[in-house]
Amino acid sequence: MLDRNFSVRRLPGFGAIAVFTFVMLYLPIVILVAFSFNEGVSQSSWDGFSLQWYEAAFQNRQVRDVSIRSLWLALVASGFATVLATLAALGTTRVSRFPGQTMIYALINQPLMVPEIVTGVALLIFVAAIKVQTGYTGMGYLVAAHTAFCIPFAYLPIRARLETMDSTLESAAADLYANHWQAFRYITLPLLVPGILAGFMLGFVISLDTVVITEFVKSAGQDTLPTYMLGQLRRTVTPEMNAIATLFLALSLCIVTAFFLITRKRGA
Amino acid sequence: MKKTLILSTAALMASTALASAQGVVNLYNWGNYTSPELLERFTAETGIQVTVTDFDSNDTALARIRQGGHGFDIVVPSNTYIETWVSEGLMQPLDPAIVTDRGNIAPQWVDVDFDPGREYTVPWAWGTTGIIVNSAVYDGNPHDAGVVFNPPEELRGRINVIPEMSDVMALAIYYAGGDSTCTDDMGVLRQVRDMLMAAKPQWLALDYGTVDSYAAGDLSAGIYWNGASMRARLQNDDLVYGYPETGYPIWMDNAGVLSDAQNPENAMRFINFILQPENAALISNFARYANGITGSEEFMDEVMREAPEIVVPEHLVAAGRFGQACSQEINDIQTQIWTELLQ
Repeated sequence: MLDRNFSVRRLPGFGAIAVFTFVMLYLPIVILVAFSFNEGVSQSSWDGFSLQWYEAAFQNRQVRDVSIRSLWLALVASGFATVLATLAALGTTRVSRFPGQTMIYALINQPLMVPEIVTGVALLIFVAAIKVQTGYTGMGYLVAAHTAFCIPFAYLPIRARLETMDSTLESAAADLYANHWQAFRYITLPLLVPGILAGFMLGFVISLDTVVITEFVKSAGQDTLPTYMLGQLRRTVTPEMNAIATLFLALSLCIVTAFFLITRKRGA
Repeated sequence: MKKTLILSTAALMASTALASAQGVVNLYNWGNYTSPELLERFTAETGIQVTVTDFDSNDTALARIRQGGHGFDIVVPSNTYIETWVSEGLMQPLDPAIVTDRGNIAPQWVDVDFDPGREYTVPWAWGTTGIIVNSAVYDGNPHDAGVVFNPPEELRGRINVIPEMSDVMALAIYYAGGDSTCTDDMGVLRQVRDMLMAAKPQWLALDYGTVDSYAAGDLSAGIYWNGASMRARLQNDDLVYGYPETGYPIWMDNAGVLSDAQNPENAMRFINFILQPENAALISNFARYANGITGSEEFMDEVMREAPEIVVPEHLVAAGRFGQACSQEINDIQTQIWTELLQ
């Protein structure tokens, strides 16, 4: 009878631990956001409300350049990753079980398990060798690297969607003489769209956030917003950094919210 | 939509690949360290576009360049790393036909031990680590490391020390009578250890970002960098910056051309460009550090031109010494002392 009354919420200290956890999670971010509106240069004493640091950030050409590059890279990399992840998801769910399926599943999800610094150093050595051989130093390397580690993040929601989708609909389409392509195009794909969108957005946010891999792979003139911010740390950090971080945070929040809304609709 | 994306992708990749062909130079520098005005002026004068890419530590920069295929032309490492860059063949000697104005380098920065005669590098910016004191609290001599290592009554419990091993150890070794930051004199090192352990209870903290605390008067003295001390002083006139007479460490970041630079000629032109006093002053105005080029003072912002944190008093110039990269053995001993201090 004791069991029935058991609730984790009644354990001693539950409230205190929960509050502490949330404070640790959000207080530093709240402070960072608050000081982005500070009138002075201080990160600790409040001198009044002002938007001057946002203005400074917008007028900083380097900030504009790296922001556009970050967004472009995230868009292209998560786009490629989503296409590949969709194909991978179809290939691992819409087929009869085959030997090595679990292995393939693990292989696709490698970036989730290998520490970023390991991938970064490995890519540094690998990419540098190619750069020396080919002389090509364009954005292709960053696109390839970002695409690679975005794939599992795009793959997981798409696969989840495929697994919960009613496969009798596809059988019904086949019964009505739809060929494979037609069944995919008119039945599977439309039903899969929420999963694809969710995967795309997750990949987008992950690419936007990545710093270690970019730092090691980037060539001349290829700073992204996170590597630019990292480079600022040796010098004085002014609230301009807070303003940039806040804008960045707002963008991530918008995308995650959209992700949430899309996946919720799927559940309904 | 997809088509435009693919097209724009191809266009962007092509443009970045082509850009390295002509009229560019790729600068690999510390973040937030390069004046945009400097680059605009260089482009206006030469037609060469400058691309700046940031690094966040000497080690990151070194690791990237060692691997090759980086696409950078100029790099700006700190003095303690220059010997590594040169001895590993990562930097090429400056071309005397293009870099003609090395004579503009202030005499004391020409025969530096990390690059004698300035064959490979030129100064970008330099600074010092010294003592900051609130003169309203303590009116004794600020040019004395004893303010921190053997604090007077009124400063006790109001001192902050930056948690940088090389800076603190250098000041302590000089104060204890050592002649080099890499001294192997065990007597001196023992004395340094005892002195630091005895002083630590008198300190309030070992922290980095404390400009505001000094300005607000929460801290009254400490070991600090000249640039940060200047920012604190601009908020509170009572703060003075001291150059310990017993010796204080100097750091300098230096620009050099990479051996595998794609645009070596443009890079050499850029190097010569920053040797001109009016251009070097732009570096200082942006980074708020001195630059090491004779005659650049008159082009600097007024706050910098006579700032006591930038202009070293004549009689204390000789006390300034470059930090060195120590042997593993010495490094281990210093790390032990440092770890004990931080506990």
